[in-house]
Amino acid sequence: MSRPAEATLARLGFGDPARAAGILTAEPLSGALSAALLTAFGDAADPDLALLSLARIAAAVPDPAALVAQLGGDPELLVGTVAVLGVSEALADHLVRHPDDLPLLAGGEAVPDRDTMRRDLLTAVGADPGAAAPTAAVAAAEGAVALRRAYRSILLRIARADLCGTADYDDVVVWLSHAADAALAAALAIGRHDVPDAARCRLAVMAMGKSGAEELNYVSDVDVIFVAAPADDGTDDADAVRIGTALATALMRVCSASTPEGSLWEVDPGLRPEGKAGALVRTLDSHLGYYRRWAQTWEFQALLKARVAAGDTALGDAYVSATRELVWSASGRENFVDDVQAMRRRVEESVASRSAERQLKLGQGGLRDVEFSVQLLQLVHGRGDAMVRNANTMRALESLANYGYVGRKDASGLADAYRFLRMLEHRLQLYRLQRTHVVPENERDLRRVARSLGFRMDPEQQFDDRWRETRREVRRLHEKLFYRPLLQAVARLEPGEVRLTPEAAEERLVALGFTDPGSALRHLEALSSGVSRRAAIQRTLLPVLLGWFADSPDPDGALLGFRQVSDALGGTPWYLRLLRDESAAAQRLAALLGSSRYASDLLLRAPEAVAMLAEGTELSTRPPAALETEALASAGRHDDPVAAIGAVRVFRRRELFRVAVADCLGDGDPEATGVALSDITTATLTAALQVAVMAVAGRDRLGVRLAVIGMGRFGGGEMSYASDADVLFVHDALPGTPEDVASRQAVAVANEMRRLLALPSPDPELMVDADLRPEGRNGPMSRSLASYRAYYERWSAPWEAQALLRARPVAGDPGLGEEFAGLIDPLRYPADGLSADHVREMRRLKARMESERLPRGADPALHTKLGPGGLSDVEWTVQLLQMQHGASVAGLRTTQTLPALAEAVAAGLVDPADAEVLAAAWAVATRIRNAVVLATGKPDDQVPKESTRLGAVAHLLGYARGDSQRLVEDYRRATRRARSVMERVFYAQ
Amino acid sequence: MDKQTEYVLRTIEERDIRFIRLWFTDVLGTLKSVAVAPAELEGAFDEGIGFDGSAIQGFARVSEADMIVKPDPSTFQILPWRGESRGTARMFCDILMPDGSPAWSDPRFVLKRTLAKAADLGFTFYTHPEIEFFLFTAPHEPGGPPPEPIDRYGYFDNAPHGVAHDFRRSTITMLESMGISVEFSHHEEAPGQQEIDLRYADALTTADNLMTFRLVVKEMALEHGVVASFMPKPFPDHAGSGMHTHFSLFEGDTNAFYEPGAQYQLSKVGRAFMAGVLTHAREISAVTNQWVNSYKRLQGGGEAPAWVCWGHNNRSAMLRVPMYKPHKGGSTRVELRTLDPACNPYLAFAVVLGAGLKGIEEGYELPPGAEDDVWSLTEAERRALGMEPLPGSLGQAVDTMASSELVAEILGEHVFDYLLRNKRAEWREYRQQVTPFELDRYLPIL
Repeated sequence: MSRPAEATLARLGFGDPARAAGILTAEPLSGALSAALLTAFGDAADPDLALLSLARIAAAVPDPAALVAQLGGDPELLVGTVAVLGVSEALADHLVRHPDDLPLLAGGEAVPDRDTMRRDLLTAVGADPGAAAPTAAVAAAEGAVALRRAYRSILLRIARADLCGTADYDDVVVWLSHAADAALAAALAIGRHDVPDAARCRLAVMAMGKSGAEELNYVSDVDVIFVAAPADDGTDDADAVRIGTALATALMRVCSASTPEGSLWEVDPGLRPEGKAGALVRTLDSHLGYYRRWAQTWEFQALLKARVAAGDTALGDAYVSATRELVWSASGRENFVDDVQAMRRRVEESVASRSAERQLKLGQGGLRDVEFSVQLLQLVHGRGDAMVRNANTMRALESLANYGYVGRKDASGLADAYRFLRMLEHRLQLYRLQRTHVVPENERDLRRVARSLGFRMDPEQQFDDRWRETRREVRRLHEKLFYRPLLQAVARLEPGEVRLTPEAAEERLVALGFTDPGSALRHLEALSSGVSRRAAIQRTLLPVLLGWFADSPDPDGALLGFRQVSDALGGTPWYLRLLRDESAAAQRLAALLGSSRYASDLLLRAPEAVAMLAEGTELSTRPPAALETEALASAGRHDDPVAAIGAVRVFRRRELFRVAVADCLGDGDPEATGVALSDITTATLTAALQVAVMAVAGRDRLGVRLAVIGMGRFGGGEMSYASDADVLFVHDALPGTPEDVASRQAVAVANEMRRLLALPSPDPELMVDADLRPEGRNGPMSRSLASYRAYYERWSAPWEAQALLRARPVAGDPGLGEEFAGLIDPLRYPADGLSADHVREMRRLKARMESERLPRGADPALHTKLGPGGLSDVEWTVQLLQMQHGASVAGLRTTQTLPALAEAVAAGLVDPADAEVLAAAWAVATRIRNAVVLATGKPDDQVPKESTRLGAVAHLLGYARGDSQRLVEDYRRATRRARSVMERVFYAQ
Repeated sequence: MDKQTEYVLRTIEERDIRFIRLWFTDVLGTLKSVAVAPAELEGAFDEGIGFDGSAIQGFARVSEADMIVKPDPSTFQILPWRGESRGTARMFCDILMPDGSPAWSDPRFVLKRTLAKAADLGFTFYTHPEIEFFLFTAPHEPGGPPPEPIDRYGYFDNAPHGVAHDFRRSTITMLESMGISVEFSHHEEAPGQQEIDLRYADALTTADNLMTFRLVVKEMALEHGVVASFMPKPFPDHAGSGMHTHFSLFEGDTNAFYEPGAQYQLSKVGRAFMAGVLTHAREISAVTNQWVNSYKRLQGGGEAPAWVCWGHNNRSAMLRVPMYKPHKGGSTRVELRTLDPACNPYLAFAVVLGAGLKGIEEGYELPPGAEDDVWSLTEAERRALGMEPLPGSLGQAVDTMASSELVAEILGEHVFDYLLRNKRAEWREYRQQVTPFELDRYLPIL
């Protein structure tokens, strides 16, 4: 044959046609390949590799032409050769060394069974397979070489069957496990030759791990445990262990040695009692003694896979039956649930935290995910049900499905994915017979792997799609596997179907962190039973939701809340649409229900607010004007004042929910939250004032102008969820209205407004508190401008002037509000600042408050409002500066703490570093106060001490589970610093 | 269950241990103990044992009293003086909150946190304390006569038949049998004063060992019919008891303080560590020297340091770089001479390490060392050399500590706040005393 055109070679599939052409024409092939043969080689996974390997083998035989002719004349041999040479360089190396093995690739000779493999390998090292304790005829150096040569010719046959598709994954892993058994037996025989007194010891080699489960891959550490016993009466246990240790050491050395025939694999005895620190070899009694007393749950899990691999079968069988008995009796131990929890966390974390994109084993949706999921389910249910105790991943999955612990479709989907990943692993490892789990990135390697898996058209892309899809599928199923059967436990079954028993379901719920699994199951039943579309959708969604609930501080509360919302919303189409497809809305809902009592309560009063969760944009705060317009419109739709105020309160509840959700799910900027809550209050009061005026005046016009002045946190735009609305009422008689009539009307309106907002209602009430008015509770509810002026000129106490720093017109006649502000400005921003007396008075008042106002039993260090460095310290410091310098520094004339502080820095009144410290303490105290209400539904001025509540608050503030003491630490640090600044700036110490 | 836990449970069975004392330390450094029966131990390992934290100095307030002690199996030790069979054993414990998270008020956790920070930088921290203490003939009665030392011997005196000799021998035997290696022991300068040096070990082990040491010394003294005290300065005119401690940092097996060829073979890390300790010495003083009486020792002259400075083999300096022994790179270390044996070793080691790490992190420069006897310099000379005085009293020390962000960071806010309050109260109480000095001096003439 003449030199083939490079274009032809390229068309046939050769990646480097020039080089291929060179190989074809040069010695030893010298143009011997026919076009048909060449086409066959072009079909190889890696044609270039296959052709090069063929040339290397040909060079090793006396008559290359005869070899080529043999290939041409035997289609089976050709198929096998092309398949193996196209994937494995290492097996080609073997054939170069031993061309006589080439006929094995014809596939005529089936893959030998376990006994035959054992016989072959023992014979290879000169041992008698029929002997009770076969002993090799050669020493380690020679024996290791002979063992590898024989082992690889078995491997050749397995690879042929694997790559030609005459065997499937399940066969291949069993063969590989049995080949490992045979190799261990031969290595032990070599040990018996080398170790003196070997005959006095019976040694059993137990296969553990993947090998024990009969699902070994081509190259991985082979996990074993050694058991020794005396072989005769003249030997005691100690001697047997000593000799056994020598044998085991020799065996491991034989297996790990690297020789001209390549290497085998490492033998890993790390699963033995006490791990690396423990004795390599123990007697059966010593093993059992350990397992009875000291072993941990995972060790029993590992024992489940134990199987005799080599050595003394009777001893090995005794080990298996004795340990098997222990395994599941021990699983009733007290740490069991903790262990399962730990394992679940490990599964989830290992899934969440990895970026190892191309890692087949540990990457997202990799082999480890499947194995963990299956083991976890076995751990939870195996103790009650012997039927699911199976070491082999695929078989375990099958029995879990058969007995209803996982959905049948899920199980088969997961099995398919696992098989694909394992086959991929096999192809990767076959190339150089190396232990690798990284999917290659370079094109040639990727192409070889893809083609060997049967992707022929655009192999890299096809493979990549499939791999990605598989990983996604594993991830998806992994989530559902655990949760979905919980629903089936409570579902109506088709005849012949099996399901989780209620006991098994409760076991699983406890493992997820539910404290009341019985109620949880009832909720699940209520949610998922029936034939309605809602039930169908919820059956799909709940498995995922359950996982999210389990991550929250209160899974029981979250599930209950979800049930209540679902019951209330029934089959509303938009609700179902919202939940469908496991949307972000559903995840938000789960997070909210599991972490915020306050938001859950608001939601349960009016579940339709769930709609807000659908769109991220719905959760951003709304401008004050929009709020006001809506509040007024809601009120205006009703003539009856009670109905009108009801509509306003519905509006308020919905807006509170919006802010709470944003706070829970977002970063919770305390300043923004304070402003948003105050804006809602402003809009509510504006509408309530209108309703009250209507109620008092009816169709008539009032003879008086009215304004509401916000005070305290409301005035400062710093409300928290639990704040009352502190206000003052001011009025001004219209021309022609007598002063006393005007006053009566104004007071009536103010009282009506307060009454309406406090009426019993499912919506949260808004307390309107006017106690800061002149003369406090003894004073009239509303005063005229003139009356305020007269009062402040004659009676005002310093604390009143300080309180007025927060005064801000919020509702009613804007002009009147401005006039009031003009009236009080000289008081709160005195032209000459504060007198020394005045400052002293303020400091004394504060000092007295610190010692007297704290509730009995409160821990001052953790009191966010009155404790050292808390809100009051920061605010008084800022307010002192405002009163001293407000007249001259315009920027200080604001009701908000942090902006005033920033202005004080700009005006050089406070050191920027000090201001930062104060602002930080204010922010952390405010965030904690808000989080306390959000998490527990109840206001509390203290940082919680009780660990459940503290944990819930810390969770909302983004602290990791178990790290809630750090929140306390952070709070104390911020406030300690603030206190020292405050002592300097406020007390001038 | 880890191997060590298994070992503990097994040993208790094999050695027929009837009681296990669970030890922990309050914020002021007092050893606390709760005994459990072997049957309860497994539960203690799993979940710990609940107790009322508010009853322990500095742990918690009444309203958050529930706390948990959880034994650390690696500290398991049979107590030899309780008899060989049917014995008693002890373990040090970590203090946890009810949700299983560590309690920030636990001194052991304070040290562990600081050690973890060092570990993040790649360091392990080794300490080697030289503990001085007095032996008296009888316990002190409040208002009674001054304490009577057991002998009149001095530094390194060998008193063949003395109680001190027997006492030291049996104490050392006892310590060794508890796995605490003793390097050195001798009679110290003052009458009745002893010194015992422990072998160097990692800081957590040393701190645990010191707690054990103080108990063993007191028990042994009682057995010999005498009384031991770690009070820093019992006699106005004799030297007080210090706890000079050698510190070093290791990176793996390498001494991070050692650099062949550098001045005093001190590496950059070593110099920065020293600079850190010097810079923050005043702030950490209330922890390294935590009692009113501690400052009587520091102000008393002799070998006690009163100024912030360092010197090469200069025994009057606060921080001393011992003479380098050729071919012993592994032993390069610095000796801090402020510490006294009545400190809380967990907190004291934590603040020294924290100050040193600060120096390393910020790259502090080491000022020049002192070459003269610091005590013999004049005030002006010391000022010229830039030597600041250490706090002269507990009151000064506490005020200095109060403004230290570093100490707050190291101790955690809870311990920091507790110490400030407790030590201020101690100082206040002390100032209300009318002392024999005042009566002797003023009563006759005023």
